[in-house]
Amino acid sequence: MNRSVGRRRTPAGIRPESRLGAVVGAALSLPGVYAGPVLAAGAPEKGVIAFKYLHYQDSQPGLKRIKVDSPSLYLLAPVGPDWSIEGSAVVDTLSGATPRWQSTVSTASTMNENRRAADVKVTRYFERAAYAIGASHSSEHDYVSNAASLEGSWSSDDNNTTLNLGVGGSSDRINPVNGGQQNISNETRKTVELIVGLTQAISASDLAQVNLTYTHGDGYFSDPYKTLDFRPRQRTQGALLARWNHHFDDDRSTVRLSYRFFRDSYRINAHTVQAEWVKPVTSNFVLTPLVRFYSQSAAYFYVDSLTDAAGFPIFPDVAPGQLNSGDPRLSAFGAITLGLKAEYRITPLWTVDGKFEGYEQRSSWRVGGQGSTGLDPFRATFVQFGASRRF
Amino acid sequence: MKRLALVACAVVLALLAGCSLFKPPQPWEKGQLARPEMTMSADPLDERFGQHIYSSKESASGGYGVGGGGCGCN
Repeated sequence: MNRSVGRRRTPAGIRPESRLGAVVGAALSLPGVYAGPVLAAGAPEKGVIAFKYLHYQDSQPGLKRIKVDSPSLYLLAPVGPDWSIEGSAVVDTLSGATPRWQSTVSTASTMNENRRAADVKVTRYFERAAYAIGASHSSEHDYVSNAASLEGSWSSDDNNTTLNLGVGGSSDRINPVNGGQQNISNETRKTVELIVGLTQAISASDLAQVNLTYTHGDGYFSDPYKTLDFRPRQRTQGALLARWNHHFDDDRSTVRLSYRFFRDSYRINAHTVQAEWVKPVTSNFVLTPLVRFYSQSAAYFYVDSLTDAAGFPIFPDVAPGQLNSGDPRLSAFGAITLGLKAEYRITPLWTVDGKFEGYEQRSSWRVGGQGSTGLDPFRATFVQFGASRRF
Repeated sequence: MKRLALVACAVVLALLAGCSLFKPPQPWEKGQLARPEMTMSADPLDERFGQHIYSSKESASGGYGVGGGGCGCN
């Protein structure tokens, strides 16, 4: 991007690359720096290596459930003037009790498992375009996924508009321990994803993006560890994501807004709204409060939680082969996240950050309809610590 | 998918309604847009954590990219 901008001259006859270079340089020295270009075209000028540690804990009233610890590593490195390589690796360690099928009676069992995942992406940059090829792998003892992607982006002559197209595919293999509750082995799931996106510089202080994604999956979607969970063997999903970033010149803060509409072949409609305010407190210290709201309708085959007079779950009377699931993630509910991120620049090259988020799901928080019945509130906290270094 | 198309149209209309804001910057006016917090992916690991957690606890996913692959968590 910078190279192409540099070919133009300002009315004052000043070569803009020198101005922009200085501004970009200043921006890159701020906390939380990642040397991403404004738009898709343009190789990164600096590399970044970053480490983050995530601690996740969820709970329902009276019961702490799953705990996840995830150290992860990220690398972005320019390779010559026209290439970059980007990759990350993460190890998730899960422990605790599996979710209760119903609110009132614990069918939880303890679990300990690891997931290892890594991805890599190589990008080739041209004057007004960039092409990327990526691959990822995720492995658990009972679930292995391999995915690949191809993406292209093309920018307008003034570099204010970028079109992004991408296609991805994944092949997953599911092998539950001892066949799970459904006595299956070597089940598969194959997925194709498409994305079309448009990023537009609206003004000198506004950047907007609209992405449409389409995902079609074929294969096994049920939960093998539940006796009663029989889902369609195909799932089609569509998502529209709109994002808008605005920078305030007076206090140098930035508001980041996003809205996503989601619909799938389970007939789930979901809305997600998020707002972040990136507020520099000092030249080296930035605070970012955030709020996120989410709401979804239930899948058409979701079975509401019912209990008898003694509080024990009543299992639904379903015929063999009849679609059904009591998975609360397919129920109708709303969710709210409140968070705060702090970033501190230790030196011009080193930055550390920490983030805390509190998350809660409640049936009664669904908007545009009734929430599902019989489900307890679900809470989770996400805590992150990280460090990054430019090179 | 008809509903998705309607929402897409609504977003486009909203963007058109904001035409008074539409003053694409000249090359020498892009300093603010180059700030890392103005990019769409300012902190990739943070973004990946978030998407992974939410896609394992909620039904909705997508919109951000392709090629992420699957997970036993969902």
